[in-house]
Amino acid sequence: MVILLSLKNCFQLHYGLKIPAAGFRCSANTGLIIQSVSSDIYQNLAVEDWVHDNMTLEDRHVLFMWRNSPTVVIGRHQNPWQECNLKIMREKNIKLARRRSGGGTVYHDLGNINLTFFTSKKKYERMENLKLVVRALKALRPQFDVRATERYDLLLNGNFKISGTAAKLGRTVAYHHCTLLCNADRFLLSSVLKSPYKGIKSNATPSMPALVKNLFEEDPSLTCEIVMDAIAAEYARCHKIDHCITLINPGDETVFPGINMKTKELQTWDWIYGKTPKFSIRTCFNMVYKQSLLEVKVDIQVKHGRIEACNIDLPEQWLPPAMCSELEKNLTGSKLCPSETAALASTLLRVCPQNYELHSKWSLLCETVMTLM
Amino acid sequence: ILARKFTDKHEWISVENGIGTVGISNFAQEALGDVVYCSLPEIGTKLNKQDEFGALESVKAASELYSPLTGEVTEINTALADNPGLVNKSCYEDGWLIKMTVDNPSELNELMNEDAYEKYIKSIED
Repeated sequence: MVILLSLKNCFQLHYGLKIPAAGFRCSANTGLIIQSVSSDIYQNLAVEDWVHDNMTLEDRHVLFMWRNSPTVVIGRHQNPWQECNLKIMREKNIKLARRRSGGGTVYHDLGNINLTFFTSKKKYERMENLKLVVRALKALRPQFDVRATERYDLLLNGNFKISGTAAKLGRTVAYHHCTLLCNADRFLLSSVLKSPYKGIKSNATPSMPALVKNLFEEDPSLTCEIVMDAIAAEYARCHKIDHCITLINPGDETVFPGINMKTKELQTWDWIYGKTPKFSIRTCFNMVYKQSLLEVKVDIQVKHGRIEACNIDLPEQWLPPAMCSELEKNLTGSKLCPSETAALASTLLRVCPQNYELHSKWSLLCETVMTLM
Repeated sequence: ILARKFTDKHEWISVENGIGTVGISNFAQEALGDVVYCSLPEIGTKLNKQDEFGALESVKAASELYSPLTGEVTEINTALADNPGLVNKSCYEDGWLIKMTVDNPSELNELMNEDAYEKYIKSIED
């Protein structure tokens, strides 16, 4: 059920107003600037979904500013195995999220600002939004060399990407969102955005790797707060509204009825991994067992994030063929997920002969297969 | 074959022997820009009129697709997996998206014929 709420009704209740130097009132008639108090990617993406589904923006615009704790965000039709290093992410507790807009993969942390420009579908205009951001940055630091490209990236000094863009067009509402690197962990960014997985064949939309830089590296006196405020000021100036930022809590059902359900949906395995377009993994491994090098050939078909079919080719008689086909059979239908595979592997191990050699070969094989995930 | 009918969301449907073929209009494909990915439903998916059944990602944005009628998906255009550009090149022929059953034929009366759709486009372009 779509609930159409006027801007006035939405933001009347229970929120803290950031009082600007000049004036109390927010003229929320043509424009509104909101900022999330949450750093949870799923909650913040849910705000976008909520505005997209519930608001009519005939002659109104909304700017939403948000930041997240360390997260990798992939585009709607992307393949996380192709785009990022899931292993490092698991080790460092970096979340993975899939957004509903298109585009490529990005890394967020608190040093990155996210801006979402909501308009009616008619008024959807990415370049205008980016020019606004450029004006805001130049107002802050006139010496900055920042400009928008045809690809809707923002470049610093002509060759460093500081912002990427993605967008979604809905029934009546459109949104354009972009990142802005102020003071993010560039080294962590580089390592998590490099996939270690080989042999993937997929028609998922690919990312375009780029050299990145933080605004902070150009001027250490810039903080995210300063930048967000400058962007809000420029937005307010453009839309002739008060420079007034409304803080919002994405967990508040009274202000955003139904939002928690959206947050939950964004966190499900089925959305994050299961929405990955069909792909195959065809690769060779070398396993080292007792000083000999063994070649393992793997051919796996993955659909909805689950193994649809799999073939594991081992050197002849290294393992009893029955065991290998048991593994293949049990992997079929299971998630492409190391913990699920580990559980599966140890279950199978219990029903096979208690033979040390066999067990250690089995463990090695399973660990090797898990590195694919 | 029943003549092509259009929705206000720029999808078209053309029915033959109780099966409707669905695609997007030329106006829509032009507005969308180059399609880079088509996300289509599974065969057997049951759709109500106006339900979201998939998405098209173009260089411009990700856009949702809405079902013109109530029915069940019987076929999807697998050629689009490797060649999503067909939606731009041939939106009424090779770039069709899905085929579906027509559970409530009366719903067709609620859609626009070609002339009405042309008028509709002109009105929104202003």
